[in-house]
Amino acid sequence: MRTLAIKNNFSVLRNVTLSLLSVVIFSCDSLLDVDAEGTISGDVLTSEAIIQQSLLGAYYSLGGINDGSDGGELLGGDFKVIPELLVRQQSLEVVWDDVNSPTYANFLDKDILLTNLEVESNWRRAYEVINTVNDILENIAGVEDATQRKRIEGEARAIRGLLYFEMARLWAPQYSDATFNSLAIPLITQPFKSISEIKRPEISTVGEVYALVEEDLLAASEALQEFGQNGVYLNYYACQAYLMRMSMHKLDFANAQIYAENIINSGVFALATTPLAAFNNTSNSSEDVFAIQQTLANNTGDITSGSGLTYLYSSISGKGPGSFRVQGISLGASLADFYPNAPAFAGADIRGSVDSVTSETTTVLDLTKAFYRHVTSTFTLSLNKYSSADYVIPVIRMAEVYLTRGEALLELTFPDVNEVVIADLNRIRVRAGLPELVAADFGDAGQVRDTLVLERRREFYGEGLLLHDLKRWSARGWPAAINGSDPLFRKFILPYPQAETDTWSTD
Amino acid sequence: MEKITAVILALALSLFAYAQDNIIVTGIVTNDEGEPVMGVNITVQDLEGSAITAEDGSFSITLFSGFETLILKGRGIATRKYYLTGASEANISVEKQKEKSNNAEGLSVGFGSQTREANTSSISSIDTESISPAPLINLEQSNQGMTTGMFVQNSSGKLGGATTVRVRGGSTLSGSNQPLYVVDGVPLVSQNQSNINPSNIASIEILKDASAAAIYGSRAANGVVIITTKSGSESKMAIDVDYQFSVNQGPKQLDLYTPKEYNIQFIEQTLRTLGNLYEPLLNRENLEVIYEELEQGNLEVDFFKLFDDPTYQNFTFPNAYGNLDQDTDWQDEVFQTGASNRINLSAQGGEEFLSYFASASYTSQEGILIGNKFERFNGTLSLNSQISKKLKASLNLNYIYSKDYRLLDDQDLGSPLQAIVLPASDGYDPADNYNLIVRSLEYNPLTEINFSDNLGFNNSVIGNLGLTYDILDNLQFDLTGGVDFSELRDEIRQGPETRSGGTTGRSQLGTTNLKNYIFNSYFTYKPTVNESSDLSIVLGASYQKSSSTASYRLANINSISELENLESDDPSLLDPSIPGGLSVFVSSFGRINYAFQNKYLIQVSGRVDGSSKFGLDNRYGFFPAVSAGWVLTEEDFMSSVGILSFLKVKGSYGLIGNIPTEDFLYRRNYYPLNYGSEQALRLQNLENPDLKWETTAQIGVGVEFAFGERISGAVDFYQKNTTDLLFPVPVSLTSGFASAFKNVGEMQNQGLEFNISTVNIRKPNFTWSTDFNISTNESQVVNLNNERLIVGVNAFIEGEAPGSFYMRKFVGVNPRNGDQLWDDGAGGTTNDYESAPRQIVGNPNPKFFGGLINNLSYKNFNLSFMFQYVGGQDIYWATGEFLANSGILNLNQLATQSDRWYAEVDVATYPVLDPAQENTFASTRWLQDGSYIRLKSLTVSYDVPAAVGWGLTYMNVYIGGSNLLTFTKYLGYDPDVNYIDPLDGVVGQNISRGIDNFTAPQPKIFMAGIKIGL
Repeated sequence: MRTLAIKNNFSVLRNVTLSLLSVVIFSCDSLLDVDAEGTISGDVLTSEAIIQQSLLGAYYSLGGINDGSDGGELLGGDFKVIPELLVRQQSLEVVWDDVNSPTYANFLDKDILLTNLEVESNWRRAYEVINTVNDILENIAGVEDATQRKRIEGEARAIRGLLYFEMARLWAPQYSDATFNSLAIPLITQPFKSISEIKRPEISTVGEVYALVEEDLLAASEALQEFGQNGVYLNYYACQAYLMRMSMHKLDFANAQIYAENIINSGVFALATTPLAAFNNTSNSSEDVFAIQQTLANNTGDITSGSGLTYLYSSISGKGPGSFRVQGISLGASLADFYPNAPAFAGADIRGSVDSVTSETTTVLDLTKAFYRHVTSTFTLSLNKYSSADYVIPVIRMAEVYLTRGEALLELTFPDVNEVVIADLNRIRVRAGLPELVAADFGDAGQVRDTLVLERRREFYGEGLLLHDLKRWSARGWPAAINGSDPLFRKFILPYPQAETDTWSTD
Repeated sequence: MEKITAVILALALSLFAYAQDNIIVTGIVTNDEGEPVMGVNITVQDLEGSAITAEDGSFSITLFSGFETLILKGRGIATRKYYLTGASEANISVEKQKEKSNNAEGLSVGFGSQTREANTSSISSIDTESISPAPLINLEQSNQGMTTGMFVQNSSGKLGGATTVRVRGGSTLSGSNQPLYVVDGVPLVSQNQSNINPSNIASIEILKDASAAAIYGSRAANGVVIITTKSGSESKMAIDVDYQFSVNQGPKQLDLYTPKEYNIQFIEQTLRTLGNLYEPLLNRENLEVIYEELEQGNLEVDFFKLFDDPTYQNFTFPNAYGNLDQDTDWQDEVFQTGASNRINLSAQGGEEFLSYFASASYTSQEGILIGNKFERFNGTLSLNSQISKKLKASLNLNYIYSKDYRLLDDQDLGSPLQAIVLPASDGYDPADNYNLIVRSLEYNPLTEINFSDNLGFNNSVIGNLGLTYDILDNLQFDLTGGVDFSELRDEIRQGPETRSGGTTGRSQLGTTNLKNYIFNSYFTYKPTVNESSDLSIVLGASYQKSSSTASYRLANINSISELENLESDDPSLLDPSIPGGLSVFVSSFGRINYAFQNKYLIQVSGRVDGSSKFGLDNRYGFFPAVSAGWVLTEEDFMSSVGILSFLKVKGSYGLIGNIPTEDFLYRRNYYPLNYGSEQALRLQNLENPDLKWETTAQIGVGVEFAFGERISGAVDFYQKNTTDLLFPVPVSLTSGFASAFKNVGEMQNQGLEFNISTVNIRKPNFTWSTDFNISTNESQVVNLNNERLIVGVNAFIEGEAPGSFYMRKFVGVNPRNGDQLWDDGAGGTTNDYESAPRQIVGNPNPKFFGGLINNLSYKNFNLSFMFQYVGGQDIYWATGEFLANSGILNLNQLATQSDRWYAEVDVATYPVLDPAQENTFASTRWLQDGSYIRLKSLTVSYDVPAAVGWGLTYMNVYIGGSNLLTFTKYLGYDPDVNYIDPLDGVVGQNISRGIDNFTAPQPKIFMAGIKIGL
């Protein structure tokens, strides 16, 4: 009887267990295939809506919107700040706030560590954007509507083209015949799907990078032409502007002039009424060909995040410590010999005007000049271009297009001076409150060029354009120097981050 | 540590007492109906002597004083304690009791219980009666030093702070190393174990080895702590009330600069800033002369006159110096004496059909730092019902509400302890927002405290409903469903007066909503095989789903309620969408126990876990374990070994899995965000379908022994190897990512555990018992794929202990120029910090730790005290980088910093004051031995016998204290410290350990309390 009872027990047990286990084992996969709230997983780039959102994600990082983690503000910050600091003289022109923004001191010191955090974070985030647009381009067929597909593909290629161009300007030697085959940066054109696909990247040459940049920007121009201004997003004109910039770096002045005139002749954009009106706007100004959009909540950062353009430039209470502290004396014309790359503001130039009374209660709306007395470091000045993080950050302004057209034209006709060159110069000067110049004011074409150079230094102070200008001028054979050094020297090129190169040895 | 060992021994041997004389107490034991109960076993608590009631319920027992406590146990009656009041006659009534399903003497082992004798794995249990009644809010803290193999370290003395618990060392790098907490059968996700009311805990078991923990499968790699809360039994209603009042204080004060010493530093700082001008003049003696001269009230000092040297001109000190005339004790300003109250009320009772236990408790505690306060309400309900002859049901509910008045993070400016670097000779002006008078750019924490709110709310419930059905006499089916819900809300408002408040003030609101469900069903089958064998089989399945959602909003306004009312499209509002979390486990498990003649014991268990965190190919993990034991004292050949009354050897081996913290790493995940006002999408991670379980294999051997009834103990050895370690491997940034989680790497822990319990004296009126435990653990990072992971001064490096201190070695001061010198790695020294190599210089993990508990009873008095100790751990006193760094940034310093280098002839302990120094140059200068021994708790209690006459069943009053004495060489406030930087993330926090960064010390607590039974 006893053995029988055990057997019975076991059979009951077995039946119940088997049914229980079958529930567990056979229905598991459906129980385990779950999604968390607020995440989207897998191969999701299959519809226009999602692909468009992914494109906006690319803009998000391209504009360096603060994500609370590792920074890398790209077009929305570091691509301005890093080159700007590389041309400024430590203490003489800019007193950097090492305590609040220690990671930028390297650039002002012209001694960039391989471990520099800004170099690393911008490098990484740039490739994140590249990966995003590569993913979009690979899945572009998921956009059913042909018109939208054309636009999204155009914007994606525009992002890739301009970003590789900006990276090449920072991380690679200046384009020239001599450097055409020099190593530049890795060109990634396929999206990463799985971590097993990550391997040591191949580094492309300067020539290869410029070729891809041109190909992408031309394709993007063609795709985007029918979309006009395309809201606040990348458009035909921005692509033309980047082609213009690229042509200037290639010393291809004829094409640079064409690209610039394509923008100017369209009549879509116009210089803002004053130089100040080109900045601190809550939406694009009339001269913004392309600008990074910010809101109080989604921006590149300020005192709240401890990073970003506003944090670095603005000393207004609640905005930032104003780490970029300008030595007022370096702005004027009187000591121009000491400051060869300084703006040398003269006369009634609005761009050199200073609000000399500020306090902790000063708000952004109180500012009426191009510079203001630094709120805490009162012996220095703050630049009033990115004073609050809810304003758009101009990336390409018409002022640049005009001055570049003038420069390209001058180069093409040198030593003759076309009237248009002087007209372009005057547009910028007159707007800034300076007197109009006529051909007779110049002794020769060299003086016209000097004036164009000076206007670029004045107009784009703090915007990070000068480093690139100095490099291409040097490549062209014009005199150009940073602290007495040739701008083409290695120390003015960002290094590959050590975090990158460290991974190359283990593969 | 020799000293510490000596102290332990001295304490163990110092107390001896003898007693004699006897009295006889007689009486009758009756039941509820007044009928006599026979066969009741009467013993005397902690003493010798016993009696059994006769047929008429009568007994007679020989005692010493007549004030002892009798313990009545018997078949079918509820065990009862009875306090004698000195009378020679005692008539005692007892209540009927139905046997509970869980053997009260048993160990919870997960899905069942076992007797200690039959257990073959490594399980520690903590007797909740012996937990000090100290007002610790946190359950983990009260387990510190109580048992082997469990290292408990406080992160901070701030209330509501996290506690680091390591069972046999940490085994993972990328996940939590905390053990899995299981409360009433619910594996917690919420971390609310800290908030369970300690008074309501019936038992705590710690499953340390693989064979014990494998039944919990994954997540058990760091051990399992099973917490069983109290439940009711069939009896008349009994009400227990206890109240406690306590006072908390800072444990010690650091010896900081006097105002004079600060001013001397200020003078030196000022003169050194001028470069070579005054340098030849600077030495300690001259600085004092200048100080005295300035004391005259004239800021213009005539150096020519003062030093009779025409090289020096007049120099006028800055006006600020004239205002450095205060005497502020910044430690006094930020430390406070906090008062705390705790009241606990519980009722239990019931009948066969339904028994209950319910309790409510309220705790309010003030911290030792200004602004720190904690309030908690706990409510519990436990119901047990015998619905029918075959069906039982049980319900346990724990409700938690707490409100935490928090402080800023330790390293943030504005955290109270940061005040200790403010100048002693500076003061502050309450009318000017508490800003400092002179050093107004330094941030006074009083400003933060007075103009901000920092509140944390916790609203949680842990509940479990269980059904047990007896299918057959020896086959039982259990079905349980549990929940662990938690709503957390963090509010921070910083007014415009504060540093972060800007011009408008700033408010932040974060919420986390966590839902964790668990369903278990299992069979327990205990067939009778034959007379001498015991067999039991458990087989079951489980489903667990944990999800979390979180929100965060921030706006530059000065009100939380305004922040809450902002529309989500308001441009001033920052409210990023935070991806939710979700994790599902589907598991089946089984366990077989077989014992032959109580002599040979074997247990085999296994669990198959399916986790939603892995891709199709690696979704399931199988985690088997086996253990065996041999009770030698049951063998005939051992019966002649007289003094050894129990001896068991045991061994175990098993595998346990571990999962990544992140969900869904096997596939690509995207999360939403906003560009401008448009919705965008961002890739969170690339897919890794090869990701699999991290596996910990643990082997253990042990011996349990007893010599007679008065000495018992155990020795255990273990080795744990974790392979396929999940960690973020750096990858080429051209992928858009800095790192990717992969299964590479290996870690090892091994250790020895020893504990012994002795009853040193057992006399009629006096008993003394001692428990001693010691554990060692040695951890090593075996393989890390050739990577080095470095966070601050800690590192994971192959062949070294995890989190080893890795920094430059400070070797002294150059006597010629006062330069700080570091080891250059080639046998020499260098004053170039960058060129000095970092090296392994210390280990933040303790070599050994444990506790010594003594219990003494004399008549109705009881004295218990516990020493807790940690040896061989190093602590990096990061505070010193600012507080003890030769006057860096002209901050206030530890008094020792006056021994810095001043002039060429000096042989100085500390380097020269460098007015331009901004980098703190982390080095071994602040690395310290963190060993300590501490009088963790001391309690004197008294059972008031007269209470019975007042209609109470018992009354007990006590006084005591916590952390009363600490013996350590550590320079900072408290060696029981482990600063956790919230910005480090999980991996960073696992790497960075043993840091004290302006961290609040553990309080010294004095308490008094009363417990009564109605």
